[in-house]
Amino acid sequence: MSPLHFSFYSAFTFSSLGLAFHRTHLISALLCLESMMLSMFIPLSIWPVENQTPSFALVPILMLAFSACETGTGLAMLVASARTHGSDHLHNLNLLQC
Amino acid sequence: MTYFVIFLGICFMLGVLAVASNPSPYYGVVGLVVASVMGCGWLVSLGVSFVSLALFLVYLGGMLVVFVYSVSLAADPYPEAWGDWRVVGYGLGFVLVVWMGVVLGGLVDFWKVGVVTVDGGGVSFARLDFSGVAVFYSCGVGLFLVAGWGLLLALFVVLELVRGLSRGAIRAV
Repeated sequence: MSPLHFSFYSAFTFSSLGLAFHRTHLISALLCLESMMLSMFIPLSIWPVENQTPSFALVPILMLAFSACETGTGLAMLVASARTHGSDHLHNLNLLQC
Repeated sequence: MTYFVIFLGICFMLGVLAVASNPSPYYGVVGLVVASVMGCGWLVSLGVSFVSLALFLVYLGGMLVVFVYSVSLAADPYPEAWGDWRVVGYGLGFVLVVWMGVVLGGLVDFWKVGVVTVDGGGVSFARLDFSGVAVFYSCGVGLFLVAGWGLLLALFVVLELVRGLSRGAIRAV
């Protein structure tokens, strides 16, 4: 594996581990989702260069558009949580009472 | 030049590690900005400057600015930066996991460097990424309309989520 491939592969692994082992804030979990998206955007942009297929350059732009939707929805949930519970701490989201 | 691009790749990884070790969100955004700047520099070194600029404009200029505004909802009385032992512990734990994966997966054959740049072959009249994204408007126009419709729908989703006044999401009752 070339060092650059290892770099975005491990970046994706770090951010998914950071999402799994989140601590207090909902927004730091959302930031880890953003870094997962970034670490997928970079290899999707490198793919058309490596394989010299220009039409694949569309895919990272489309991914950016849908990731903007996801970011907006995540931040709206953050605002809703801050409105209801007063903060975005994850231990407040505890409707499951068992 | 090779070592500069490898340095950009390493800084990309370190920036994402700075986000993943879950410091206080004020500092996590810094890590994300550093990671996206390094990623854009890496893409420019390959020659695909259009997707790099699209990343800068949409991601840094659009999404991260909104994130930085929303971080104000996550106020900590004592924000933890990367000097705190908990954050450093998480970061070292993630590095250990990836290192174990590399060692056990047998990825030790590490120093093959080499990637084609954007002028490697084909017609050099229109750059690779420009002509690729132009397909979005000519052959992929259905996908363009679907993506635009999805973005409009996301606007209404956000409106419904933050409606408040006893009709919003995440109610405590």
